[in-house]
Amino acid sequence: MNATLGHTGVLLGLVASVVGAGVIGHGLIAKRPASLRAGQIYAGLILLGAVVATVAMERALITHDFSLSFVAENNSRATPLLYTITGMWSALAGSILLWGLVLSGYISAMVWKFRRQAADPLVGWATLVTYLVAAFFFALMAGPSDPFQTVAHQTPNGLGPNVLLQDNPLVAFHPPLLYLGLVGFTVPFAFAVASLVTGRIGEGWQVATRRWTLFAWAFLTVGVLLGAWWSYQVLGWGGFWGWDPVENASVLPWLTATAYLHSVMVQERRGLLRVWNLSLIISTFSLTILGTFLTRSGVIQSVHAFSDSDIGGLLLGFFGVVVVTGVGLIAWRGDRLRSPGGIDSPISREGAFLLNNLLFVLLAVIVLLGTVFPLLYEAFEHNQVTVGAPYFDAMTLPIGLALLLLMAIGPALPWRKTTVGTLRDRLVVPAAFGVLVAVASVIGGVRGLGAVLAFCLGGFAAASNVRQLVLAARGARRHGAGAWRGLVGRANGGMVVHIGVVVIAVALASATSFAFRGEVTLRPGTSTVIDGQKITYLKLADVRTAASSATQALVLVNGQGPYRPAVSQFGANTDPVGTPAIDSRLWHDVYLTIDRLPAAADGPVSVGVIVQPLVSWLWVGGGILILGSLLAAVPGRRRRPTDPVSAPLPGLSDGDGDGDGNGHRHGVGDDHGRRDPVLVPDGRESSDAPVPDAPVPDERVPAGSP
Amino acid sequence: MSPDPGARAGSRVVWVALALVLVAALAFSVARNSGPLTEKQRAAAIESNLKCPSCEAISVLDSSASTAAAVRQVVAARVHEGQSDQQIEQYLESRYGPSILLRPPTTGITAVVWVVPVVAAVGGLGGLGLFFWRRRRPKAVRVTPEDRALVDRALSQRQGDVALPAPPGP
Repeated sequence: MNATLGHTGVLLGLVASVVGAGVIGHGLIAKRPASLRAGQIYAGLILLGAVVATVAMERALITHDFSLSFVAENNSRATPLLYTITGMWSALAGSILLWGLVLSGYISAMVWKFRRQAADPLVGWATLVTYLVAAFFFALMAGPSDPFQTVAHQTPNGLGPNVLLQDNPLVAFHPPLLYLGLVGFTVPFAFAVASLVTGRIGEGWQVATRRWTLFAWAFLTVGVLLGAWWSYQVLGWGGFWGWDPVENASVLPWLTATAYLHSVMVQERRGLLRVWNLSLIISTFSLTILGTFLTRSGVIQSVHAFSDSDIGGLLLGFFGVVVVTGVGLIAWRGDRLRSPGGIDSPISREGAFLLNNLLFVLLAVIVLLGTVFPLLYEAFEHNQVTVGAPYFDAMTLPIGLALLLLMAIGPALPWRKTTVGTLRDRLVVPAAFGVLVAVASVIGGVRGLGAVLAFCLGGFAAASNVRQLVLAARGARRHGAGAWRGLVGRANGGMVVHIGVVVIAVALASATSFAFRGEVTLRPGTSTVIDGQKITYLKLADVRTAASSATQALVLVNGQGPYRPAVSQFGANTDPVGTPAIDSRLWHDVYLTIDRLPAAADGPVSVGVIVQPLVSWLWVGGGILILGSLLAAVPGRRRRPTDPVSAPLPGLSDGDGDGDGNGHRHGVGDDHGRRDPVLVPDGRESSDAPVPDAPVPDERVPAGSP
Repeated sequence: MSPDPGARAGSRVVWVALALVLVAALAFSVARNSGPLTEKQRAAAIESNLKCPSCEAISVLDSSASTAAAVRQVVAARVHEGQSDQQIEQYLESRYGPSILLRPPTTGITAVVWVVPVVAAVGGLGGLGLFFWRRRRPKAVRVTPEDRALVDRALSQRQGDVALPAPPGP
């Protein structure tokens, strides 16, 4: 029953995406807008198919239907409800199903959002691309990676999910959020391909899909951070990032997407860097597919590669198709992509964005090289080599410091050009704060060039971004719009995101440079002091649930607690795993693990103690980052990106009651760079807009815009 | 563009002072940090570059696995004997294979992972520099009245034929 329902859903999704692609393809070739409009309906059918299949899978899991081999392998009667539900993404076939569900959700949202422009061939091409991507994933589910495969001999009980996947509730959040991020890049990718195919590069469709990219980027960021938090809480070595191939695979598209989110602003404002932006978005999507290949094909041994499979070749082939299509389209349309005008000066916002892009792409090159090299080496040299944390740390540290410096300078730079003197005036207070932080940390006992530099540049960057927010809030108030306006909108939200990134960078520098690792062996009721922390061991406790049995050591840290590091056993035929306990404070974390259990209940226990400063700032920084992304998503009052642009129109600039819906910006504390020149407020960073913008000559009216 | 040249000169002095303070702080921090390492510090530094033999990507220093503990004993004993870092790494490589090193060797084909990013960085920065150098004299974009008329028409179509005043020249 569940298998039939599931197969029906998968088949519906496959047929709908193939037929939908056919209908739209026909409409595009025959130039029939009616077909283009009709093709939109299939998005709903694809979504219906994915929902039916997901419902069937969850129903099978919750009712413990062990006639499905996926359920038999990833569920047992003892599995708690939460881990039963999350069982869907505990292994390959189910996580492809989750991918399909998220993808079809995005496709439906996209088709709905652009429904009024459905007859526009560009939207048609974009829809066609998303249907083809959907067809690939549904075809995987229909054939080589069938989540609804049945078993010949049904067992009375299943094996249950992987031990590490039933130890922490974050399993319910990390994978879906990660997928919401990774899969979301399909939409901007589809529009990139569509604007290349139609040759309509100058119309700002990339900018129109910018918020989609931001949305996906924010989810990916949160997904990656939650993954780090999860491994910190579960894996028991006190680290949160191991440069594991699968972690790298998730951060690769993040790097190129971050570069894109910055450089797309140059296109939006100046109409430049079109080829580059399209390349970045195509790379981002390609890297999500490559990441899926690395994660899900079993080519890499990793703590996260929870499954081996034979779909590796198909994913690699799909990756190849995506890359060849992207490169081919850019080569074919290269001549049309030339933008008019250029970047006037390296000391400008555009120049900073270019440098930012270079640094992010370098990071991506390093991470990609370090991740893939061992595979290639083994394939060609038949020998093994490890590229691990010391390599990545050494290579990425200088780039990270350079990015912090750029994050301090960039926001203070105006568009077009400026003088060094202006910059010196604007940055003197933030720089003084950065130096103050450096001096304070040296006095506070921080040693080591890298750490002091990271703190100094972090202080500089944070102060510079706070300065922008203060200026924006003041500007907003001057326009009678309430200081809170200085916090919302894209650029201001971006500044808040920057502050979150600084907090994370400081945490990374501190936790990795100043971790203390030790071990204490204590009898029940005794205490000892290690690295300034008083550790008291009370006693052992046995905790049994239906799914697991655990031996906990009750430990006090500085009299607080008890914390319960444990050794847990899930099911009879698995190895026991250690479960750490963490005393998390604002200034440091004390991370406890059981290194050796006592032979007798009153014997001595060995407890691993890791003290790391500022680890919790990682999660605080993540929170600030989410907040910033939300603020950035609050609609500012700005021009619709596909509207025609014009020289300033003084007649429309009087009175800030922007109720006429003409979309002309009034620049109230939103985006520092994009004010109409005539609206530049008195004296506020007047050099931001010394030159009226020349119109971008080749902007055209999109055919289908209302 | 500050109108007050006096303020500008003042700010230059402030910048020099800030730079001097920063250099002093960094020098102090580095000087305090130098000096001979203890045996424990040396062992930790070596262990952080070794892969725990039975783990996926965790170093011998970080791992609590028994295989990692065995390597730690070997390292501690050899550090105590006064062997150099290279000698210890070579010994472990001969015993566990080259994949125990978390840093790929800088010689042979594995040098690729070290060289390519540096070449990419130099090439990227050079390319960016060249890009700006060649664009030092940007071509002014001439905006013809036809362009303006085109945009105005498009705008007025959207706004229901609002009469637009003539924009000022660039």
